Amino acid sequence: MILFQGQLYEDRELPRLRGELEARCLETIASRTIAPEQVISACGVLAERVRRGDYDQVLRPFLADFHISPGQFEAALRLLEPGSLRRKLALELGPGPEDTPLPCPGRAPIQRRRFPLGVLLHIAAGNVDGLPAYSVVEGLLAGNINILKLPSMDRGASLLLLRELAAIEPALKDFVYVFDVPSSDLASLTEFARIAGGVVVWGGDEAVRAARTLAGPDTRVIPWGHKLSFAYVSGEASDGDLAALAKHICETRQLLCSSCQGIFLDTEDMGAVEAFGERFFQILQAENARHAPADMGLRAKASLQLWTEALEAVETGRRVLRGGGAGVTIAPDSRLELSALAGNCWVKPLPRRRIVHVLSPEKGRLQTAGLLCPPEERPALSALLARAGVVRVTWAGDMSRTLPGEAHDGLYPLQLYSRIVEFG
Amino acid sequence: MKHADALFRWKDPYDLPGTNALFAAAMAENAAFQRRSCRDYDHICAIAGLERGAKLGPGDLHRLPPIPTLYFKRHTLRSMPENRLLIRAASSGTGGVKSRVGFDAGSLRRGLDMSLTMARRHGLLSVKPCHYFILGYQPRRENDTAFSKTGFGFTFFAPALSRTYALVWQNGGYQLDLKAMEKRLIRAAKGTVPIRTIGFPSYTYLLLRGMEERGIHLRMPAGSLITMGGGWKQFEGQKVEKSELYRLARSVLGIGEAQCVEFFGAVEHPILYTTCPRHHFHIPVYSRVLIRDPDTLEPVPEGTPGLVDLLTPMTASMPLLSVMTDDLGVLHPAGTCGCGIEGPWLEILGRVGVRDIVTCAAGAAEYLKGVAP
Repeated sequence: MILFQGQLYEDRELPRLRGELEARCLETIASRTIAPEQVISACGVLAERVRRGDYDQVLRPFLADFHISPGQFEAALRLLEPGSLRRKLALELGPGPEDTPLPCPGRAPIQRRRFPLGVLLHIAAGNVDGLPAYSVVEGLLAGNINILKLPSMDRGASLLLLRELAAIEPALKDFVYVFDVPSSDLASLTEFARIAGGVVVWGGDEAVRAARTLAGPDTRVIPWGHKLSFAYVSGEASDGDLAALAKHICETRQLLCSSCQGIFLDTEDMGAVEAFGERFFQILQAENARHAPADMGLRAKASLQLWTEALEAVETGRRVLRGGGAGVTIAPDSRLELSALAGNCWVKPLPRRRIVHVLSPEKGRLQTAGLLCPPEERPALSALLARAGVVRVTWAGDMSRTLPGEAHDGLYPLQLYSRIVEFG
Repeated sequence: MKHADALFRWKDPYDLPGTNALFAAAMAENAAFQRRSCRDYDHICAIAGLERGAKLGPGDLHRLPPIPTLYFKRHTLRSMPENRLLIRAASSGTGGVKSRVGFDAGSLRRGLDMSLTMARRHGLLSVKPCHYFILGYQPRRENDTAFSKTGFGFTFFAPALSRTYALVWQNGGYQLDLKAMEKRLIRAAKGTVPIRTIGFPSYTYLLLRGMEERGIHLRMPAGSLITMGGGWKQFEGQKVEKSELYRLARSVLGIGEAQCVEFFGAVEHPILYTTCPRHHFHIPVYSRVLIRDPDTLEPVPEGTPGLVDLLTPMTASMPLLSVMTDDLGVLHPAGTCGCGIEGPWLEILGRVGVRDIVTCAAGAAEYLKGVAP
């Protein structure tokens, strides 16, 4: 389905609508703007209806497909509430550039105002971080016209939410276009990118590389790439803190950018790593038993990977502890790597003096570090992790928290979706 | 390998009850040889808690350590010197990493005995020449994927008058050329020589769908067959039902459903599974299939889904006794098919892993730079 100026169309209308798109966008830019408040109040009504269950029929299968838990969804929903959006706007865009005129000798001070980039093309991914409709809301907040290319598995949830949004606030109709074209339809994507002033791409390196090819050299590409997260433990961690970390691992199934893949210990002593690994395995196993089993394919893949690792142990020096679908791999190296997922993490030594050396080469991939350490060491260790490239340091159990107003991978999206114009 | 030789010469390829004892004896014989000849395998058996000289009867085969295909992709296991390997093959390389396997003369002879018995049983052997349409790679010296080898090898079940390839080597790369194939199919429909297509189901589907969209409806000469191998995995996401492919075969080429035959196998488990008239893969005497629990890897009862573990004593040159694939499947009990073959049949449910794009963490890991520890 296609959403075009508030109307739904069959996919076969694509060639005609694609042909009209640029003219419609130019007409909108020439004649209309939207104010953030219009977007915010429409989102408020929408969030209310979602919470009331009005769209459960479409949303529930979507959440199941993308392994989004009720807690994660509730957190995502809070992002759409007026209070959250106003706070985001104030944080990311305020104080406005109009408040800081630039003195110009011999003339009146130069006035500045923020304008949208114009047209944004969103190439969406399906995970919760990239809830496609939310990406469009961010574009709208900055005042842009938004063209959304849906991810292949989105069976209508984003389309529904955005259509409703435009129905609640008809002024948004001219600012939202949704196309369900596959990534292989290069003709359409190239045309969308040509019309756009910025391409917002969610996904892996391949998606980002493809977006750079689509966009002309003068088009801004804003990549929200894939990230890895880990926990860092220095000193004695309490059973309570480790249980919270285990809960986070089991809840997210380690599928999110912010999910803990493994635990680095501030030590060089493999004996300490072994002991910690055995202790955490007990905690993780107990926690895992409290959660519904992950998808069978995910569990089977983890089992295969860990059984392979067990067979290779003689070469790698790794030890795999497995039980009840959970697992801990005790490894002597300090490499940041993806875990086997689905409740299976690694435990490795990483003394603090090597944090920067080991993690810096991966700085483009780093997201959250869940830090457990004595309070007096927290500032120094946090700063060290930040200097290595981590963009978020949290308590170990909070690694996947979603709070309104948080930066995204170390950046403020609304700033990237707009530009400053100077008058004078 | 006298037990294995006897097993692979067994007359009825679906006589599982009659071969249970022989199968176990052949596995035990092969396992003893592998442990003597391949140090890594001996070590793997030790990790799995299988003591040397342990008795392996028909009820003990699950104790042989199932080696994941992932392990074969990372390690080359050999039980014979390289110069005794007559054929080397590599898997088609899911994710870019390939398993490299090699077969000695004895293993190949057992493979040939099996292929002939299976082809005869499924009516694939014919003295009548035919035109082959291979929906796969044109063989080149440099191309060692198992498909290009088996694709070519298949063309000897019936004498080949011609071979047309879908993936043709041109200007230093393989090009998909379905147009040429279409033209030659139209020409073949006017003659009396039967045709056989061989290839991935996805390519077969693409070819047929394209022809139907262009309004082409042919009637191939009697005795024509559509044969497919290489799995349905390329179909994931396309949601194409097998029944749609059979419909297309009838509509576009005039070939009936019973003349659509599918094969299944893997380089690490070179057993030829062939579909029965009801499109089920029955287990032949040359192998046994265990389904294992996705968490514990313990065998589960028939009818329960899990990881597919394939067992065969065919190969001497490598320890391919028990190979755990990346596939999830179900073993349906004997007597549930109704095609006339009594034995159990294997249904492949799909690959392990997360469905594409749901995980961003996994995507990030693919590109980690691999820092030294």
